[in-house]
Amino acid sequence: MATVELHWDPFDQDDPGPCIDVVVMNSRDVMEAGRSIGLDYPKPLRMRALLDTGASITVISKKFANYCKLFQTNEGSEVTAIGATHRCAEHAGSISFPGTGLRGFDPIRIISAVFVKERYYAILIGRDILRNWVISFDGRSRRVTITD
Amino acid sequence: MATTEPFSAELEMFEQHRKEWSRSHSGKYVAIQGEVIEGFFGSYAEALRAGLQKFGVGRQFLVKQVWMTEPVYFVS
Repeated sequence: MATVELHWDPFDQDDPGPCIDVVVMNSRDVMEAGRSIGLDYPKPLRMRALLDTGASITVISKKFANYCKLFQTNEGSEVTAIGATHRCAEHAGSISFPGTGLRGFDPIRIISAVFVKERYYAILIGRDILRNWVISFDGRSRRVTITD
Repeated sequence: MATTEPFSAELEMFEQHRKEWSRSHSGKYVAIQGEVIEGFFGSYAEALRAGLQKFGVGRQFLVKQVWMTEPVYFVS
């Protein structure tokens, strides 16, 4: 069990929400299979992820999904955001939380989509991951605490 | 030159069997490549691993949960 504290100031208009550093890669099983036939994979990339209770599933920016060469396992999943429905790809990835003791997820299904607020974060951590954690927010200290 | 949409053969196969599979394997995950169905599994991870063993990564394979109606994911 690990505990992580994040800062989040909901009263700061420039604060996009509680964010955590993550490393997203292909699933270990996918990379082993790929390397056995000579495929190469990019180095793991650390990126910011928003904890998003409004997302039913974890979503990565399409740009980063392409960079990571995430193995695609489906096409055309419907994602509704602000009333508009988008058809998106699904990938088999892994997510870890460097510098914390939080348990990673491998493999995990990740949807890729075009992000509008890409300058703040590259991933939305959805309820498929959040359901494994206890999360609390202390409004006075502006601290979010995650325990897995 | 005509281009083929990714997973078009697999999704067509899925649609052909959707009704039948919704009765027999509702909520399970199926792994398909072309017309080859590897099987039905209790989780995405199991279906992925079975697909990797059977098909490898040289060509994509579909991993899809069996539902009569497609789920819509919400992001707000």
